[in-house]
Formats: sequence, C-alpha cells, structure tokens
Amino acid sequence: MSTVSPVLRNRSARIALTVVVAIALIAAPLLLPAFANQTLVRIGVYAVAVLGLNIVMGYTGQVNLGQIFFVGLGAYVTAYGVNHGWNIIVVFVAACAIAGIVGLLVALAAARLGGLAIAMVTIALPIVGVPLAKRLSEFTGGSQGISARFSDAPDWSGLYSDQWQFYIVLLVTAAAFLLARSLVQGKYGRAFGVVRENEAVAASMGVSPYRTKVLAFTIASILGGASGFLYLAAVQYTSPETLSFGHSISLLAAMVIGGAGSIAGSLIGGAYYVFVPQLTNAIDPSFTTLSQGAILLVVLFLLPEGLVSLPRVIRRLGRRRTARPTSGNPPQTAPAHHPVPEAAREGLENTERQDRP
Amino acid sequence: MAASLSLKDVNLHFGGVKVLQDVSFDVEPGVILGLVGPNGAGKTSLFNCISGHYKPSSGSITITGKEVRGSAPSRLARLGLARTFQHPALQLNATVLQNVLLGGHIRLPGGPVSWALRLPYTGRAERAIRAEALELLDHAGLGWAAELPADELSHGLHKGIELWRALLSKPALLLLDEPAAGLSHGEVQQLIATVKRIRAEQDITIIIVEHHMGLISALTDQVVVLDHGRKLMAGTAAEAQSDPRVIEAYIGKDSADDAA
Repeated sequence: MSTVSPVLRNRSARIALTVVVAIALIAAPLLLPAFANQTLVRIGVYAVAVLGLNIVMGYTGQVNLGQIFFVGLGAYVTAYGVNHGWNIIVVFVAACAIAGIVGLLVALAAARLGGLAIAMVTIALPIVGVPLAKRLSEFTGGSQGISARFSDAPDWSGLYSDQWQFYIVLLVTAAAFLLARSLVQGKYGRAFGVVRENEAVAASMGVSPYRTKVLAFTIASILGGASGFLYLAAVQYTSPETLSFGHSISLLAAMVIGGAGSIAGSLIGGAYYVFVPQLTNAIDPSFTTLSQGAILLVVLFLLPEGLVSLPRVIRRLGRRRTARPTSGNPPQTAPAHHPVPEAAREGLENTERQDRP
Repeated sequence: MAASLSLKDVNLHFGGVKVLQDVSFDVEPGVILGLVGPNGAGKTSLFNCISGHYKPSSGSITITGKEVRGSAPSRLARLGLARTFQHPALQLNATVLQNVLLGGHIRLPGGPVSWALRLPYTGRAERAIRAEALELLDHAGLGWAAELPADELSHGLHKGIELWRALLSKPALLLLDEPAAGLSHGEVQQLIATVKRIRAEQDITIIIVEHHMGLISALTDQVVVLDHGRKLMAGTAAEAQSDPRVIEAYIGKDSADDAA
C-alpha cells in the first residue's frame, strides 16, 4: 500500500514493531495509573464501535446513524447474561450474535431501500431503542438501568480490576481490529469499495450490492455488540441513556475525524471519542459542545481524510517542497461523441479507403 | 469456453417510450459482433439488457442456452459475462492494480469469515490473482502504473484498465461499450491490436458497441445495425456500410430523392 511508510514495508521490521507494540500493550496496565488504564479501556470500547461504523460507512458507503443502538443492545444482553449466571464466553458470543442478528434483519429490509432510506431506518433504531429499553424493564431494569459486575479481577490473578478490564478489552479489541483488517484488505475490501463508488460496476463484477451492504451492516452490528460487551466490562452498568441518538452522532464524528475507510483511523476515532470531551471539559465546562464543534471543523478543514491521513499529508507537503512533480496529469479528454452524421460519413470514408486496393 | 448469445424478440419500454422493439439476433461462440447505429438507436440499452442492468419488458435472452432475462448483473457475471462501460467507471483513489483485481472477485473462493481469519487458501488465491493481474498489466505495457492511483492516468489508460479488469474475470462473453470513445487515433489502433490479440489468445465471444466504423470494420465478424430501437439489418461490416438503409439511418435521405 502506498500509504505505508517504507520502514513498515520491510517484513522483519514489521514483525519487530508488532512484538514491541504487543509487549508495550501487555506491560502498560501494570505500569500505568488506574485512571490511565480506565481511559485506555474506554478508548478500546469505542474504537470497536467506530470500527464497525467504519466498515459499513467508511468502506461500504452506507450511512448508518444507529450504531449506538447495537452497542446498547450488546450491553443489555451482556448485563442480562451476567445477571443470569451465564458463562462469560457465552455472554460475549450472545452479545455479538444477538446484535448481529438484529443488524442482519434490519439490513435485509433497509438495504433494499438504498441511499438515504438506509440512513432514515438507522436513525429510527436508537430513537425506538431508548423508550423500548425503558419499557422492557424486566430485561433492562427500565429507566434505572441495570448493573452487572463480571469484570472484577479474580483473586488468582493478583491484578487490580482496572488492569483485568484492560486485558479483557485489549483481547477483544485486538481480535476485532485484526479480523477487520484482514477482511478489508482482500476480496471483500474491494467489494465494499466498489459498492461505495458505483453499484452498477459492482454488479457487473459479480459483487451483489445488496448482499455486500447486508454483509457490511451485519459486521458493523456484530462489532457494535462486541463494543457493548466491552462497555459493560468497563462501566459495569448500562441504562437507556447508553443508546441515545446523540452518542450515535458522536460515534459518526469520531469515525470521520479518525479517518473514514481506515482501520487505524477507527482506533484514532475511539481515542477522539474519549479524549475530546475530557479536553473540552478541561478548557471550559460551559463551552463543551461549542469547542467540540470547533475541533471537528478544524480537523475536517485541515485533514478532510481524517487524522489518520496526517503523516501522508506531511509527507506530501515535504515532497512538494523538495521536488516538483515530474509528471502532471495529462489533460482529461472528455469522452465526446461524434455527432451522428459526421461519424457515419467518417465511417463510410474509412471503408472506401480500405476497400480500394 | 466462449459463450453463445441469442436474443429473441427483445422489447424494452420505459413507460410509453419503446426503446427496443422485437430485437432478435444470434451470436455464435468465438465471434466478434459489432452493434452499431446512430445515437439513440438503443445500442447501450440493448447492452444493459444483456448485462442485466435493465430488464427487458418481454422477449428472451439466452447465454449458452441458459435463459438470463431479468437475472441480476452479479449473477450474470458468475455465468461468465463481463463488460466495460461507456464512461470508464474506476475507483479513482484506488491503485490501478486494485482496480484490475476487482475483476478477479468471482474467481476468488471463500466467504467473509475465511477472509477475515486469513485462512491459508484465501492468501494463496489472492497472491495468484494478484500475479495474474500484474501479468496482464505488464503484457499491456502498463506494469509501471500498477501501484499508481487510477486518477493519475489519462482517459485512454482508464479505458484500458477497464478492459483488463473485465478480462481478469476470465469471461466467456465480453461486452465493450464504446471502447474507442474519446481515444486518440493512435490509441484506437492500439485498442484494435489489443482486442485482436485477446481473441487470438482466448476462447471468448465479444460484442462491441461503437461509433468508430474503422474499429468496427477492423475487428468484427458480423454487425447488427439498430435504428430507433429496431434491428435494421445484420451482416458483415462492409455490407452494413454499403446498405442504403444504414446510410439513410445515419445521414438521412438524399435530398434529391425527397424532391423526386
């Protein structure tokens, strides 16, 4: 890939880097203070949700304003499962699977509509979800919310809870990112991309736009469910507020800021989602929303492809300063059609010439 | 295996507008057929019917004996049909290689779970198709452009990339929609040579919609002339160009005839 710096292209350097990052991530919670661990945990939680949003929106181009619904669904399923004494692996699988099945059903209907209709259906999800979560108090604890403690560190581990939670989140987040990265690099990444760019071309390449959209939406929902599981691991409590529509928009902003159509951008998006409210609160709590909007505009104005494009932009600026581009774009010739009579005459003349010995 | 194509009484209506009326013709395997006619004759509409982007109002379209009228384009692609578009439809921010690789989609095995888990066979298939795509590009003299973003190349090269993308799917039936539109004289000559080479090397049936009569004469074994949504005649390119009905359709009746 042209965006990867030369260092990363070298195989052994890449392996070395991976090992270093892995060791750093495993050692980090043991060395960092509890607050830093909690912050990193929350970044992981939201990075997974942003990752899902990125698959369906960044890669496949389908507007999804309901991702938080699946996060909330995953959180509620997790709370329900934990409180009913399910095995934690079963809880995790259920959180992903139920969110995925609901996502699949919604997508089967919504992807038929296409375009903005998908956006409208996805808006409906959190809007319906919040009152539904309040109503179904048998499962959700109603407006009070529901708490479930399963992520306290077990005694044998000798860890503090924040460290234990860090490892749970690290495990799930790393798996989600590695799987998503593999998926978008080959066959399916190209299929997502062509569905985003041009559905007619997609179809003529044997990529069914409908099935591809349903696939992307379902993956996003599964990742939303996984994010909900992690949310509960980190916060140990969920309420209807978890899946309110405003959070969905924040997730969307985080995805765009991080970098739409970028796996690394999703991680940055998760960090943005967690850090920016902290930052703006620190500046002046009464202007939180205003300063968040300002940051959003500044980033989009300077880096329309998101924060993940920063190294690329810097490199491009550097290159522009050192060397003039050697080859510009050749002027684009419009695919102009000859007026009909001319074409015919030209054609007739052509054959006459060719027919002559 | 080259495909045969057979159209019987294909009609296409958009509301009251009759775009195609009772169009019938057969294409034998391995033939290059030219589809010509004045602007608005319905050539591209007929193309879209064959490739599944439009559903004919009535009639029958069979590819190698299989009825395909109303099949989704993505299904037709799996039956061995590939096409290019009148206006090159590439992913401009992706590399040339990635654009071409898209043509290999139907040849790559495995579902999303296998690809997400990077099962060994998916990696092998991806490497093989990548090598094949690079070879196609090298063969076409475009090896240097493989890693460039597509939007850095000219219109002529875009048309070429579309062609290689279509060919990577190993089609049995290839539809080329105005492959020479907007190309320079030299590029058209190159295109003619390329299509001749493809036909010589592969077992493939090709249908070309084109205004460029030089290209039609140079490449096609037979032509079908459309006018106002009807088949005007079928024959060789030379026959078509001397047929008075065809000349009339293109440049109108001689004013002397009108006076007479």
